[in-house]
Amino acid sequence: MSAVAASPAEAAETPPPEQVDLRREFNEVGIGDVLDQLDRELIGLKPVKTRIREIASLLLIERIRKRMNLTSDVPTLHMSFTGNPGTGKTTVALRMANILHKLGFVRRGHVVSVTRDELVGQYIGHTAPKTKEILKKAMGGVLFIDEAYYLYRPDNERDYGQEAIEILLQVMESQREDLVVILAGYGDRMDKFFSSNPGFRSRIAHHIDFPDYADDELLAIAELMLRDMNYRFSADAREAFIRYIELRKAQPLFSNARSIRNALDRMRLRQANRLVADLDRVLTADDIMSLEESDVLASRVFLK
Amino acid sequence: MRVTQGCFSFLPDLTDEQITAQVQYCLDNGWAVNLEFTDDPHPRNTYWEMWGLPMFDLRDAAGVLMELNECRKVYGDRYIRMSAFDSSHGWESVRLSFIVNRPKDEPGFRLERHEAGGRNIRYTTKSYATDRPEGGRYGGK
Amino acid sequence: MNDQSMTVRGKDRYKSGVMEYKKMGYWEPDYTPKDTDIIALFRVTPQDGVDPIEACAAVAGESSTATWTVVWTDRLTAAEKYRAKCYRVDPVPNSPGSYFAYIAYDLDLFEPGSIANLTASIIGNVFGFKPLKALRLEDMRLPIAYVKTFQGPATGIVVERERLDKFGRPLLGATVKPKLGLSGRNYGRVVYEALKGGLDFCKDDENINSQPFMHWRDRFLYCMEAVNRAQAATGEVKGTYLNVTAATMEDMYERAELARELGSVIIMIDLVIGYTAIQSMAKWARRNDMILHLHRAGHSTYTRQRIHGVSFRVIAKWMRLAGVDHIHAGTVVGKLEGDPATTRGYYDICRQDFNPMKLEHGVFFDQNWASLNQMMPVASGGIHAGQMHQLLDHLGEDVVLQFGGGTIGHPKGIQAGATANRVALEAMILARNEGRDYVHEGPEILAKAAQTCTPLRDALEVWKDITFNYESTDSPDFVPTATPAM
Repeated sequence: MSAVAASPAEAAETPPPEQVDLRREFNEVGIGDVLDQLDRELIGLKPVKTRIREIASLLLIERIRKRMNLTSDVPTLHMSFTGNPGTGKTTVALRMANILHKLGFVRRGHVVSVTRDELVGQYIGHTAPKTKEILKKAMGGVLFIDEAYYLYRPDNERDYGQEAIEILLQVMESQREDLVVILAGYGDRMDKFFSSNPGFRSRIAHHIDFPDYADDELLAIAELMLRDMNYRFSADAREAFIRYIELRKAQPLFSNARSIRNALDRMRLRQANRLVADLDRVLTADDIMSLEESDVLASRVFLK
Repeated sequence: MRVTQGCFSFLPDLTDEQITAQVQYCLDNGWAVNLEFTDDPHPRNTYWEMWGLPMFDLRDAAGVLMELNECRKVYGDRYIRMSAFDSSHGWESVRLSFIVNRPKDEPGFRLERHEAGGRNIRYTTKSYATDRPEGGRYGGK
Repeated sequence: MNDQSMTVRGKDRYKSGVMEYKKMGYWEPDYTPKDTDIIALFRVTPQDGVDPIEACAAVAGESSTATWTVVWTDRLTAAEKYRAKCYRVDPVPNSPGSYFAYIAYDLDLFEPGSIANLTASIIGNVFGFKPLKALRLEDMRLPIAYVKTFQGPATGIVVERERLDKFGRPLLGATVKPKLGLSGRNYGRVVYEALKGGLDFCKDDENINSQPFMHWRDRFLYCMEAVNRAQAATGEVKGTYLNVTAATMEDMYERAELARELGSVIIMIDLVIGYTAIQSMAKWARRNDMILHLHRAGHSTYTRQRIHGVSFRVIAKWMRLAGVDHIHAGTVVGKLEGDPATTRGYYDICRQDFNPMKLEHGVFFDQNWASLNQMMPVASGGIHAGQMHQLLDHLGEDVVLQFGGGTIGHPKGIQAGATANRVALEAMILARNEGRDYVHEGPEILAKAAQTCTPLRDALEVWKDITFNYESTDSPDFVPTATPAM
């Protein structure tokens, strides 16, 4: 058998285009839909959405440059998302994977979402296979590492996170066409993490900061959530909820959208109890859908 | 001589690109891909050593190629094959299997004949390589 | 066509004399077949002037309990249970004068696990019936209750592949040519060359049993020498179908035993040994870890004409129950009869666990195989390497492709012929898996592979113009109508 490798016959090579119709390229690729979906789904996050659009534009141009044979490099696509919990980082990661897939920078477009525990082992030799398993599953898509700074625990000498870090750094550099990594977490902690592990900063192309939601944005999120569940605030309840947001934000451990959701769940619980307290009452759909002021005011944040 | 086990042995050795295409075909069909290696090429040697477990739930061939390159680093002096398992009812066995790595020199097999009763002969195929113990068969230490 | 029931019931039914079949209880349009009924579909062509319903009822009657006159002894039995019931009659599309008769038979009419009994019951009596111009057993629905009484294929496709350690591609074989006349030693030479060159199997032809020019023992001994030499030369498991067909069962067992002793992975039998012998050999094969190949010798005498006989799809069903592992089922593009749609029906019957009704393929019933092993179809007859893309497209991956002339007739010799076929096949599978449109790009794929394989290049050159395009004598009655594009 001759040593000549028979590679799959390729279609005759077409010469690179000299001109590209940008609108047609944009439409063909279909990222317009994803960006619109992002706009609709997520309340606020204006700076984030702007950044995403910027990145999408950059990648669209990159794609065209590649088609015109002006570049053959694989662009660095790894990202870091910083911000408080509940600010939409995971959702945006999913949309980003979609955009990368539509633009052809990622082959399959799925997202594998992990924290430190899935990457790091409990004993010697345990970490490398664990990390590799995750990497294999994420290949062709996006690896989203939440609270990435927990990988680095210098105070504990029996910690194996360093091994995972080395493997990640290696893959982020040498297999850029196979995998995109997004690291996420609190802003100040991520900063500290990058300082202690400078290898990451040089491999990350895009840092996106997720600011906390403004009060009116949180209200809009609450109303959107309620509408999806077929509930709504009465006028008084709405007013009370605005005051609720103000008070709750000042308290510790506020997780933005997540905290709003939890609050709404508690209010629904109170509403149900209020209705059931009077078994002889005849309920209309209106009664069942409506959250009253008392349901909101019963919250602990008002005890001061 | 060239051992012609596996699905593509009569073609020139597959490039990594071709291997990737085959692996992707298996993954797209929902089959779990497994790497095995051996230095005993006897045709009835069913159980080659497994390199890790069968890889379930992979979407992209890059993960498998990663493992293959690791395996080659350690066992590049031996036969390595890729097998894909189909767990659907009625099959529940291997769907595709092909060699992805060979030793540089393949000495081949000896046919041993033992005369039994009448004109009957009992045949045994013996691999020249297995004259040496495991690990030292194809130029290994 | 589905009129009222005309069955005469009560005391009048058994008054001596002659009564029409459709009045005796063999035409029951209101009858709903039970899940445990065996159903047969006949294509009935009555003589001119014979009422179609009466003809179909007569078929039901004569294949179950009836005779040409009323008999009082019927009353000693639960006669209604044992009568076959024709419950539906449809005219055959585009064939005036022919009718499809659906006939249901109670499960108790049949001995469990016996093809001989099944065939004696259904086709044993009725085909010579004078009022019929022609009759064909078109299809059968076998209930799970009945299927479960059979062994089924001794080995099956999956285990065969596991034993050979060959996955992902069709298997390759060749019948030794010339059909007759070679001595044992020379016969073995052909086997060695073909197996060494790259085929998985060789095959005895159907009439190679034990003749003056070669006694069977010599053939077996030389063939196994060839098989083992080829195995050592390639590192692959090889085999050749040793034909154990003989005059008596005792002789057959003797031959099969020697094949096993010599270490063959596979033996072969011909259809003409009869259904009882086939089942015995299937039982033997399972007990002795042997793959059982069936050559469908003689079937075309009764399967080929659409109007009369037994359709091959029924034979295939019977053989899967009986327990053979390989069955010749047609090539579509080769020298023997078999159009693509009908052949597809046969292949599905061999390989699926559940055949959905598909009239375009001639599959008239949903058929559940109750996890009986799958039978490997064999495509043999006038095919060559240049058709590899068409073969793969029509026949799929789980098939044995046999290139007798296509191997032995290669200008550079048998090994070259075998190598050409193997390289063509592997290249086509590689391309198919990569996602290429191998059906249309087949010739380019073969040409590219031929660049690194001289034997393939020669093969393509020699046979590039060979096709067998003749009008089929047995194509499906139902053709999907093209719907206009919206």
